[in-house]
This record gives sequence, C-alpha cells and structure tokens, in this order.
Amino acid sequence: MSAGPGGSFSRTQYRLGFWLLLAPVVLWLGLLIILPHIDMVLVSLRERVASRQYEFSFSNYITFFAEPLYWNTFVRTAVMSIVATLLTLMIAFPVSFYIAKVLSGRPKMALFILCLIPFWVSELVRTYGWMILLRETGLISGALQWLGFIDQPVELLYNDAAIMVGLIYTSMLFMVVPLVTTLDSLDNSLIEAGYDLGGSSWHVMRSIVIPHAMPGIMSGCIVVFMLTLGNYLTPTLLGGKDSLWFTEQIYTQFITRFNWEQGAAFGILLLVLSSLIVWAGLKVTKQSFTRVMS
Amino acid sequence: MIPSISSSRFYRVSYLCYVLLFFIFLITPLVVVAAFSFNDSLFPSLPWNGFTLDWYFGEHEPRLGLFHDDALLESIGVSVQVATVTTLASLALATCNAFLFEREQFPGKNFLYVLMLMPLVVPGVILGVSILVFSSTVANWFEVTFDYDIEALRPGLVLVALGQFAFITTIATLVISARLRKFDVTQEEAAMNLGASRLTAIATVTLPFLKPALLGAGVVAFLMSFENFNTTLMLVGSDAPLTIAMFDRLREGSTPVLNAVSVLLMVGSACLALISVFTQRPEKE
Amino acid sequence: MSEQAFVSDASAEEQEDLACSLLSKHFGDFAAVDKVSFSIARGAFFSILGPSGCGKTTLLRMLAGFQEPDSGDILIKGRSVLHTPPNKRPVNMVFQHLALFPTMSVAGNIAYGLKRKGIPKREHEALINDVLDKVQLPGYGNKRIDQLSGGQKQRVAIARCLVLKPAVLLLDEPLGALDLKLREQMKIELKRLQQEFNTTFVYITHDQSEALVMSDQVAVMNKGRFEQVGTPQELYYQPATAFVAGFIGDSNQYVGQVQEQSGETITLVTEHGVRLLSHSSQPMPAGAPITVFIRPEVMQISMVKPETEQDNCLQVTILRTLFDGARSQLQVETAEGAVLTVALPQTADFHALEPGRSVYVSWQANQCLCFPVPAETEAQPEVAQ
Repeated sequence: MSAGPGGSFSRTQYRLGFWLLLAPVVLWLGLLIILPHIDMVLVSLRERVASRQYEFSFSNYITFFAEPLYWNTFVRTAVMSIVATLLTLMIAFPVSFYIAKVLSGRPKMALFILCLIPFWVSELVRTYGWMILLRETGLISGALQWLGFIDQPVELLYNDAAIMVGLIYTSMLFMVVPLVTTLDSLDNSLIEAGYDLGGSSWHVMRSIVIPHAMPGIMSGCIVVFMLTLGNYLTPTLLGGKDSLWFTEQIYTQFITRFNWEQGAAFGILLLVLSSLIVWAGLKVTKQSFTRVMS
Repeated sequence: MIPSISSSRFYRVSYLCYVLLFFIFLITPLVVVAAFSFNDSLFPSLPWNGFTLDWYFGEHEPRLGLFHDDALLESIGVSVQVATVTTLASLALATCNAFLFEREQFPGKNFLYVLMLMPLVVPGVILGVSILVFSSTVANWFEVTFDYDIEALRPGLVLVALGQFAFITTIATLVISARLRKFDVTQEEAAMNLGASRLTAIATVTLPFLKPALLGAGVVAFLMSFENFNTTLMLVGSDAPLTIAMFDRLREGSTPVLNAVSVLLMVGSACLALISVFTQRPEKE
Repeated sequence: MSEQAFVSDASAEEQEDLACSLLSKHFGDFAAVDKVSFSIARGAFFSILGPSGCGKTTLLRMLAGFQEPDSGDILIKGRSVLHTPPNKRPVNMVFQHLALFPTMSVAGNIAYGLKRKGIPKREHEALINDVLDKVQLPGYGNKRIDQLSGGQKQRVAIARCLVLKPAVLLLDEPLGALDLKLREQMKIELKRLQQEFNTTFVYITHDQSEALVMSDQVAVMNKGRFEQVGTPQELYYQPATAFVAGFIGDSNQYVGQVQEQSGETITLVTEHGVRLLSHSSQPMPAGAPITVFIRPEVMQISMVKPETEQDNCLQVTILRTLFDGARSQLQVETAEGAVLTVALPQTADFHALEPGRSVYVSWQANQCLCFPVPAETEAQPEVAQ
C-alpha cells in the first residue's frame, strides 16, 4: 500500500491528516509565490492615468523596447550571465574532477570542505574582499607597482572584468558541489574500461565522463545562471555606477523612482528570460527539471 | 586521468598547479578581508600601518570598533531575530512538505512538486519585488475597504522574514525529504505494533531519525537567512538587517570596522559549520 | 480446501489464541488472500509456508492490523479485532528487517512498548533485564543497535515484543537476512524461546526447513489459499495436494496417465513410457492425466536386481554423482530416457559408483504418491527455493 501505514485507520481520520499536510504547502506557494507573481503581472500591465487611477496598458513593455538603455542593459545582463556561467563551468570542472576522481579519503574530504568555505561566508564579505584586492589603493595594484610592471596606481575596479571575476567567484560553489557529487558517483572501473577498450583520454572524457556528469553540469549551470542573472550586489559594488545590470534597473524603478508599474514589467521580463534559458538548457541536454533540481 | 591510469609527470604537476591556483583564488579575498581588519589605518587598503585591535575594541570615532558600534550591533540583532524566525518557520513547513511528498499519493502531486521547486529558479530580487507588490496590494485594499492599515504588510522585518521563508523552505524541504526517503517505514509500523498511535510513532521514531537532517537544514536555513541580500533589499523597511547595513556603509566607503564584522561573520559561520559537521558525523559509520 | 477441518465449537474456542474465518483481501482483481480460515491452539508454533507472492505477508499484515480485510473475521482470544487499530491489538510482530529503532539503545527499544502501555517507569528495568536474560543477552541494555550482530538484533526484536506479553507473536520471515549457519542456530533458539515464553507464534516463511523444524502446525499457502494444514510429518508424508507434495521436500516428478486401478494401487505410464505402480487413496479413471511424486530417499540402489519382489524396480544408467556430504545424490537415467534423482547413502557399498555404470533402483508402490493434474492448469507448481 503506497499510502503508508494506517490502512486500517478510518478513512476520515486519514484524509484529515492529508489535508493538514496539504494546507500549509498550498498556503505557502499560493500566498508567497503564485499570487505575488500574478499580481506583479497585473501591475506591469497597467498605467497610472491619475492619482489612484489606473487603466490597462502595455505602455510599460513598450517603454522597455523603445528605450535603448533598458533594452541594452537587458541583453548585456543576459550575455554576461551566460558567459559567466560557461567560464565558471570551465574553471570548476577540472577542479571537481580532481576532487572526485584523483583524490581519495581524507585529502578528498578536506579539499571538498575547503571548496565549501566561501559559501559559509556572506556574499557581501566575498565581494568586499575583491574590492580590497582590486581598488586603486588595493593589493593587486600595489603588488604590480612593487614588481615594477606599472609606475603608478591602477584602478582595476569598476569594469566588466571585475564584475566577471566577482560573479565567477560568487558562483563557483554552486558549480563545484553538483559536479563533485555526480562525478563521485561515476564508477572508476567505467573509466578504466574506456581505456582498456582503447579510448584516448579525450574520448573517454567525452563519451563516458561528461554524459555521466550531465545532470550535475546542468543543475550547476542552471543555479549559477539564475544567481548571476539575479545578482545585484556584485555588479553594483564591483561595477560601480556604470555596471548596467538589469536588477539595478528594477531596483531603481521600485525604490528610487517609485515607478512600480515599470519595475514590475522589468521583473516579469527578467523572469521570462531566466525561465526561457533554463528551459532551453534542459531541452538541449534532455534533462528533467525535477531530476536536475534535487 | 585517474590514479590507476598512468599519465606523464608534466601532466600531473600542471594539473596540481591548476588546482592550487584555484584554491588560492578561492581563499585570497577572505584572507585579505580578515587581514585588513587588523590594519592600523582608517581605510581598508594599503599601505600596511601595523597591527591594531581598534576595529574591534576602539571606543571613539573615527576609530569606533565593532563592539562599540551600536548601529552595527543593532543590525546584527535584527538579523539574528529574522534568521531565527525564518529558520523555525521553514523547518516546520519543510517537515510537513517532506511527509506530504514522500508519503502521500494524490493527483497533481508532480505538479505541486515542480511548483515547490519554483522558488529556487526565481531570482531573489524578483521574489522580493513580487512579494512587495502583492503585500501592498493587499494592504491598500484593506485600507480602502476597512480604513485600517496593516503595518505588517508594509516593507519591514515581517516582509523580510516572509520573503526569505518563501525560498528557504524549498531548500529545507529538499534536505529533509532526502533523509525521510531513507527511513524504513516499517519502523513506524513496528512502533504502532508496540502500542503507539500514529502521531506518537512519528514523534518518537521518525522525528529522531530526521534529527540530523533537521539540524543540517536548520543551520543552512539560518545562514541563508542571515546572509540574504537580494530579497531582503527589496522588502526592508527602517530596521536594517546586517547585510543591508553593511551594504550601505560599503557604498559610502567605510573604516575597516567592516572587516571586523566580516571576521565575526566568518567565525560565526565556521562555528555553525562545525556544529552541522558534528551532528552529521555519527551517520557516516 | 481446509475449511472443513475447522468447524469450531464453543469449547474449542476458549483454547484458541487466534482464529480467522473466511478472511479475504483483494488488490484490484487479484485475490491476495482468498477465504482463508484457520485457528491456532494456545501456545502453538504455527507456520504459514508458501512461495513468495502467495499472500502470506498480506495475511500477516491483516492480523497485525496494517491492512483491512475485505471480508471475514479475525478473532484473538475469542474477540473480533477487526475494528481495533494496530496499536491496540494484543499481537506483536517481528518484522522482516526487524525494524529496530536505530536512534534508541537496546533498552530503549524494549522500553518503547512498555512506555506506550503506561507501565510505570520504575518497573521497566526489572522487566527489561528479565527479558534480556531470557533471550540470552544479559547486560546488553546500553548497547546501540548498530553495535549488535545479526543474531543479536533478532533477539532484541523478539525481546521487544515478548516483554509486552502478547497473546500472539507474529514473525515475518525474520531469519531471511541471516547467513546459513546463524539461521540454523536461530531456528533452534526460536523454538526454545517459544517454549520458554509459552506464547503462540505465527511464523511466516518461504523456507520449508524453517517451518518443518520449528512448527507444531504448518499451513501451506498457495495463491491466497491454504492448501493443507497439518503437522510437519503429515505434510511430508501425507501431502493432500500435488502442490504440497511438490513444495515440501525434494521429489522426482513425472507427468503420466492412469492405466488401471486396483484397490489403492494404481498402474501408470509416465510420459517417457516408464510403467510404475503408485499408491492413491482416490479413485482415478483409466486414461486420466496425473502427476507422480517419488522422493529421492525412498529409492533403494542396488548393484544387482533385488531378490525380493519390489513394486517398482528399474534398471538405470548412472549419469553423474552430486556429492553433498550426507545429502549426496545420484542422477540416473532409465532406458526410456527418464531422469531420476536418487539419494546416495554415504556407505562403503556405493563408493565405486561411476558414470555409465548400470544399477537398479527400487521402491514400493505406497512410497510414491500421485495426484490428478488439475483440469484448468497444466502448469506444475513452482518449487520455490
């Protein structure tokens, strides 16, 4: 009996237990996730005509497409997020492979935990660390002067490269953990069999290791992409005033300009973009959402 | 490639160097933050002016140390309150969810499960914004209809806690479900067979089994809440949690007292990490 | 086919710890338990033996209250427990995988039921020590479950139930997870415990050796029904159905046809064309399809044709010897091509037997049994394990 023990309990008592379990999850998802998003869609589709007077309109979306600043910021955010995700994957994969397959026993656990450490510290602190490193009076600039590469302080902060470094650094964890987990579950004898049957390193990697790690790669990429796209802290602090990140536009509309209708439209656009890319990623690699997420 | 397959010395050494570089990359920013909390300078930057503990214990401006900076201490208190409430609430709901998804069969279960995972793929800023919009819609409607303003639905700590609860619950649910899946249901039957009612069986047999997962999820939930920035930023009112307070100071440019706070956070996180490692340990045998 | 044996009268009922009448449980169209009736005398060791999927676990779960029967009644000490939830039934169960609580110590596991019963805490220690002594684990109270060996876990699982003094103890194949040696020990141990506690045991298993060694009564179950209920000896020597004959013990089975019947002796011809004499209590028309069962140990091997008249005597060629100590067997083939397995006594007489040699095997008609092939299915009962 799949309903678990208690088959001989009276039906009503059993159903009562079920409804008591169902009610909170429905309330949670309904009140904090679904209704707020529906309401945001509704708000984004209205226009204020007078004080407390609204009417249905697409004007917020039209503004988005008509204003190059918004439109460019949007595309730029998406492209940079994708690049950051791919770079994170490329940097993290060899390290994850090293932890999962080359090491064993105590060093393996130690290195894996070392990977987790930055995750235990607030994103704010991590970004702050990069600010101290990259700023004009910072460590890297100082080191370069001391080495004689440059003769006056150089500002390494407030450019796209700085944003990229910060994004990759912040996301690294969410890539390494799923990769190590899936690679760890790959039986070493499969790799050995690949070699034994005459495969080259590259071929074994491509036909055995990567297909096996695909769920981990996908879940890592999805989470990293999501976090990057929705990041506010890193672009603002490392990119400065001209970081042109889309979440900043949302923040500006909501908090600074108090134009909630426009901000809601931006939010919906970002959400649609993120869902689309996640969906496309899943489709291309033929992975299922529930499998990737858990 | 793997130790059982021979590879050239050059390959092995360069691979090792790469991994070393990676860990240097990983650890440097944290070391730098910690180091500069002891720098005897008004700015967290070079040159190094010698060692000081002023940024922890300094009593007067401009060298006001962390333990005398009332604004920072207050924001830490706010963060602890919010994190405690969020953790307890999300653990309670996540436990219910785990039982619902692992034990019950009902139509639409898969749909509900996907919905339950949704908060993970909604960017934090948008989650915050949507709750902000919806709560003020409800509050406005209430005000117009009943001429009463529900303070709790205006930006403030209640909304911050709700916003964090909305996505932390999903993470806690995944952790607790994974543990519940390993539970042998016949243990509950055995408990009933020995005279326990169903609820007693769950309380005395199942929940003790879930304890490591509950503790682990609790630690993660607490940290996630404590460190959350994106959702909090959109919902915050006049009382600023620590991350918001730090962010404001960071933008204005601040003394190394922020480094001292960071060190405190690192120590706190390390303690929590140790707790969760120790509570998980007995299971590993 | 067992109902007729259990017409209960009032006086008998007081002697019964457990009785079922016409108990049924269906899953969709599938009848897991089909009108099963039986009663178990007080203090008996009762086994339900059957292949996997025969419905024995469902039956046990109904007795424990984890499943509701579709129809029929369950009486424990003469009172119906049909509407009693599992935690209120005076039965306790040793689960297949024991289901000991890993979060509690041995004493905690045993105290669990005592607490639920509301027995005062000060009495716990004496009760726990007493039951631990009886299962021969004195001083194990503070051990963790994961510190115990397989056999010790068994004992704790039994102690946890017996400390509650149940009317009936249900055991769901508890020896399945043990290795062979330990299983042999635990069989004897279980029988000893049952006698010491004088509690009614209902033991389900697919392992006939467990059932035969330990039980006072065994019910052989197949496809949701009881085929036969009897003492181990009855089942072995007087199987009531072809299924029981095939399931209990090893047998050479052949399909054949009745040639003629005189009294209780039947002359039959197997599908290979071997002519045999067999015992049968029921009348069978000539030409009727039947299955004949001959146990390996009833056949005598001799180098020369036996001098005394034997009902069945076949000249056969040795195919191979299957050496297994005291359980060694010989595979032989008749001139017609029928293969027989014969028990090979480990005496000096037979050490020289080698493949290809011609010997005689002989047995009396009343040492083999035959049953009509059921009309609806030609399939032979599968012999599990």
